[in-house]
Amino acid sequence: MSIIQQHTQATLSDAWRTINIDALTEDSSVNFDVSTLHPPLPEISEADARAINGQVRQLLRGGDAEGALRGCLEMPVYAGSEAAKETHLHTVIEVLQSIKASEMTPMLQRIYGQPGGSECLDVLMKYLYKGMGATSASSDGSGRTTPARAMTPQATGFSQVSQRPMAANESTGSAMSVLLSWHEKVVEVAGLGCIGRVMTDFRRV
Amino acid sequence: MAAPEVHHLFHHPIADHSFSADRQTLAIARDTQVELYGRVGNAFKLKDELKGHDKLVTSVDIAPNTGRIVTCSQDRNALVWEPSPTGYKPTLVLLRISRAATFVRWSPSEAKFAVGSGDRVIAICYFEEENDWWVSKHLKKPIRSTITSVAWHPNSVLLAAGSTDAHARVFSAFIKGTDQRPEPSPWGERLPFNTVCGEFLNNSAGWVHSVAFSPSGDALAFAAHDSSITVVYPSAPEQPPKAVISINTQLLPFMSLFWNGETEIIAAGYDCEAFRFQGGEQGWQLAGTLEKAKAGGRPGLGDEDREESALNMFKQMDLKGKVSKDDTMLKTVHQNTVTMLRPFEESGGRVTKFSSSGVDGRVVIWHT
Repeated sequence: MSIIQQHTQATLSDAWRTINIDALTEDSSVNFDVSTLHPPLPEISEADARAINGQVRQLLRGGDAEGALRGCLEMPVYAGSEAAKETHLHTVIEVLQSIKASEMTPMLQRIYGQPGGSECLDVLMKYLYKGMGATSASSDGSGRTTPARAMTPQATGFSQVSQRPMAANESTGSAMSVLLSWHEKVVEVAGLGCIGRVMTDFRRV
Repeated sequence: MAAPEVHHLFHHPIADHSFSADRQTLAIARDTQVELYGRVGNAFKLKDELKGHDKLVTSVDIAPNTGRIVTCSQDRNALVWEPSPTGYKPTLVLLRISRAATFVRWSPSEAKFAVGSGDRVIAICYFEEENDWWVSKHLKKPIRSTITSVAWHPNSVLLAAGSTDAHARVFSAFIKGTDQRPEPSPWGERLPFNTVCGEFLNNSAGWVHSVAFSPSGDALAFAAHDSSITVVYPSAPEQPPKAVISINTQLLPFMSLFWNGETEIIAAGYDCEAFRFQGGEQGWQLAGTLEKAKAGGRPGLGDEDREESALNMFKQMDLKGKVSKDDTMLKTVHQNTVTMLRPFEESGGRVTKFSSSGVDGRVVIWHT
């Protein structure tokens, strides 16, 4: 847009307010790669994510749910392909679904009490929100459908007919209720600061 | 311990507040003007209004010795108000910025002040005798975003700045002719203007809301939007710091903090109350709130719980059809976000009283 010389219908309107003046400033954040402000994060490939998944499953089979949870929260996939991130989300949700409701709070308190525990719960919160985003996106039919189905790894009758809207709702509904109850417990232990950190953090899962 | 002194000035957010050296005058940034309140007995009464800005005043600071007031505003200007027998005389300062000015503080020497801005620069302003004019020099590199707060080192040369690019930085703001050459410190030895002496960010890299040097100047603390405070201990110039300690809390983010001696930091923000942190180079932890520590220390709120009698309860049920008490008040003294904390009274290197102001239009003077 050129410099406005005289009052016209266009200049009297407030359309000029929508001009992105940052784009016109040479060294503004728009014309600058803000990711260079942060230290680079280690790249995790899909194969690595699958390897973690394998180890975590082994821990789960061995009955060490807490170790499995800590294990997958200590290795979040911050930098990596969509597939790697998706795989890790499934790993985390698998662990969450395998833990009984009565065990949640004591387990979270134990993790929070250990060094680096606060960081772990922040990561857990990130995956809870990501999981919720994935389930809601699939239930309204606009997003990819894979995450919702993967939330119920146990082969139920429904997962085969998940094209039916009823069934899809039911599976996402159960996944959502698991995530919501975890969300409540995490906030109890790590406080509202935990939600704030998820929103501010530049490291996205 | 004595109860805090609460001054509810008006129902409007307070962007910043500053007391004069004798603590008799209180300057409040309210909307597009600065209001001066004078102490009358136990209260503060409006006595003067400084009108000169035409947009929101974002920050105000009174120089303790000269009595000059500096203000800055979203209208991109800073004004220095010189006290005179007929009132305060404003002088415009050329900041040369094209975005809002966000934060202003006098250096301890009072010969210059720093203005943070949304233009990714900090203007260091000083008085040029030959031109009879306040001029500014820009600290530019490597700031990538809006400056939210600045804090001076006791030597009046080093300046810490917090930014929305998630970094807290330490710069040299050395002005030839105005400043004495500073003593070498862990931050640096030779300090020409715009030397970057340190650049810090914490793990999750939230916006930095507040920065502060410790009384000795040998440590830096900053509060970020990830509900954390981070303390940095530098080791030597050009070396990585001795220790960077980050404390993530369960609370909402802190907007302002200050040091009480070398081993205590007091911070307040979106939780509407002040919290105490204690520690040192080995580690820091949250030591608790400053409000619960005092029995009955919440004027007009703390006693209500006890006075809730059975008679009252049935009266409420009869009148309103419910048992619940009036729950429209927060249990804290401040009823909204605390945006600024400042030391009020010091003795023997410790802050004995401090003042806070917030979005609720209150200024509160606390005992530490």
